[in-house]
Amino acid sequence: MIEVKALHVTFGAGTPLENHALRGINLQIPEGQFVTVIGSNGAGKSTFLNSLAGEVIADTGSIAIDNQDVTRWPTNKRSSLVARVFQDPLAGTCESLSIEENMALALKRGQRRGLSRSMKKEYKELFQERLSRLGLGLEKRLGDRMGLLSGGQRQAVSLPMATLQPMKILLLDEHTAALDPKTAAFVLELTRDIIAEQQLTALMVTHSMRQALDVGDRTLMLHEGNIAFDVQGDEREGLDVPDLLALFSRNKGEELSDDSLLLG
Amino acid sequence: MSAIAFFGAIESGLLFGLVAFGVFIAFRVLDFPDLTVDGSFPLGAAVAATLIVSGWNPWVATAMAMVAGCMAGALTAWLNVRLQIMNLLASILTMIALYSINLRIMGKPNVALLGDETVLTPWEELDIAFYLISPILLTFVVLAVYFLLVRFMTSETGLAMRATGVNAKMARANGVHTGRLTIMGVALANGLVGLSGALFAQTQGTADVTMGVGTIVVGLAAVIGGEAIMSTRTIARWLFACLIGAILYRLAIAVALNTDALGLQAQDLNLITAVLVTLAIVMPRMKKLKRSGGAA
Repeated sequence: MIEVKALHVTFGAGTPLENHALRGINLQIPEGQFVTVIGSNGAGKSTFLNSLAGEVIADTGSIAIDNQDVTRWPTNKRSSLVARVFQDPLAGTCESLSIEENMALALKRGQRRGLSRSMKKEYKELFQERLSRLGLGLEKRLGDRMGLLSGGQRQAVSLPMATLQPMKILLLDEHTAALDPKTAAFVLELTRDIIAEQQLTALMVTHSMRQALDVGDRTLMLHEGNIAFDVQGDEREGLDVPDLLALFSRNKGEELSDDSLLLG
Repeated sequence: MSAIAFFGAIESGLLFGLVAFGVFIAFRVLDFPDLTVDGSFPLGAAVAATLIVSGWNPWVATAMAMVAGCMAGALTAWLNVRLQIMNLLASILTMIALYSINLRIMGKPNVALLGDETVLTPWEELDIAFYLISPILLTFVVLAVYFLLVRFMTSETGLAMRATGVNAKMARANGVHTGRLTIMGVALANGLVGLSGALFAQTQGTADVTMGVGTIVVGLAAVIGGEAIMSTRTIARWLFACLIGAILYRLAIAVALNTDALGLQAQDLNLITAVLVTLAIVMPRMKKLKRSGGAA
C-alpha cells in the first residue's frame, strides 16, 4: 500500500525560475494495483515519479510505503521497496558493463553488497531463464556489453532486471516513449505480462491517453502539479479518449489543448 | 641498452604499474579525474621513509604509507561528494595541501634511506645480482595487488563501484550508495599510489618532496598506452593492460634516453612523456579512421 499525503515540491524556491511542480498531491495505491498516469508536459508526472523513487525529496507532505514513512529516504535506501524502469533506454542500464553484470547489479537491489563474487553459476542460470522469456535470444549473449544492444532490447532487458528482487512498487517512466511503435508495443505487452504474472503494484507514466486506458486498472491525470481526475473500476470501463478530455474539462473547467497530449 | 638500464626500466615500470592501477580506478572505473596522485605519491614516500628512519619495520611503514594515501584520496572524494566541490578542483586542493603536509612529515625537503633497513634488505643477502632484486620483489607485490584488485572489481561491491562510474542514477536506483563508493574508490586509488611512492623511496633510497611532479601524467600514459595495444574486454584484461602499459612506457623512455643517435638526455624526460601520451591517445583514433575509410 502506497500512501501519498499533501505532497509539495518546489524547484528553485525564491528564484525567478521558481517552479511549484507538485501542489499537494494525495494518493493511495492499494497493493497489486496497476495505475497509469497521464498529463501534458510540465504537469508534474516526472517529478511525481522522481519523488516516489527518492531522486526528488518533497518539501512538505509525506510518502508511506506499507505504513513505513519513507519521505526523507534517499534513492539508494528506497531501492529495497521501489524498482524503476527509465524513459531513456540508456539510463536504465550500464552500457560498458555486460548484460550479466547489469543483471547481477539489479539482482542485489536494496540488499547489502559484500565482497563475495558478483557472478555465480546459479545467478547465470536465473538470468538466462529470465532473458529467454523475452524471446530475443539474449540468453545466449550474457557476456556481451550492454552497449551492443539496441534501445528496444535494452529497454526489454530492464524489465526482468527491475523484477529480479521483490518490490513494493514498480515505477515505469514513459518507458516505451523512446522506442519505435513495433518495439514499443512489444515492451508494453511484456510489461503487462510481468505485472500480471508477479501481481505487482505499478505506476506507469505515459504520454498516450489510449495507452493509459488500454492497460492497468486505474488512470490518473496530473495537471499543474495536482490530480485533475482519477478513474477506476466501472467508471473507467468503456471510457474512450474523448471521454477523458470531457472529464478533464468538467473537473478543471478548462479545455485541454490537443497538442499537449497524444490522443491516440 | 645495458642489463642495468633494462632492469631499471622494468623496476620503475612495475612501480608505475601500481600508479596506473590507481589512475585506472579513479579515471576509468569512477570517471573521477583525480590529480591527488601527484601529492599522494610523495606522501607515501615521505611516510614510509620517515617511519623507516625512526626505526619502524619497513613493511609496517609501507602499510602506513598506503593508509596515508587512502586518507588523501578519501579527503579529495569527500570534498567532492559532501562539499560538492568539482572533482578536478577538489583533487588539486588536496594535492596542493599535501605539498605542505609532506614537508611537515619529513621535516625537511628530503629523507635519505642509506643504510636503513628497507623491504629490500633481506633480499640483498641472497645470491642475486643487485639490479634484479627490486624487479623480482616488485613483481611479487604488483601481481598480488593485481589479483586482489581483479577479485575486488568482480565482487558485489566492486561491481557497484563500476556502475557508480558508468551510470550513477541507475546505480542509486539499484540501491548503490554512490557517494560512499566514490569515496572508497578514490581512497583505494590513492592508497595504491601511496604504496608505489613508499616502494619507490625504498628502491631509490630517498624520499623527496618534489618527486610527485607528473605522476598523474605517467599513470595516464600507462593506462592509455595499455588500452591502445591490448584488449579491455574484461576487467582482468583491462587492469593487465594498464600494467603492461606502465612497463612498456618505462622501456620506451629507457630506449629513447639510451639511443645516442637521438641525442636525448635525462632532462628531456617530460617532453618525451608528453609526446608518448599524445601518440597513445591519437593512434587508436587514426586506426579507426583508416578502418572506416577502407569500409567506405
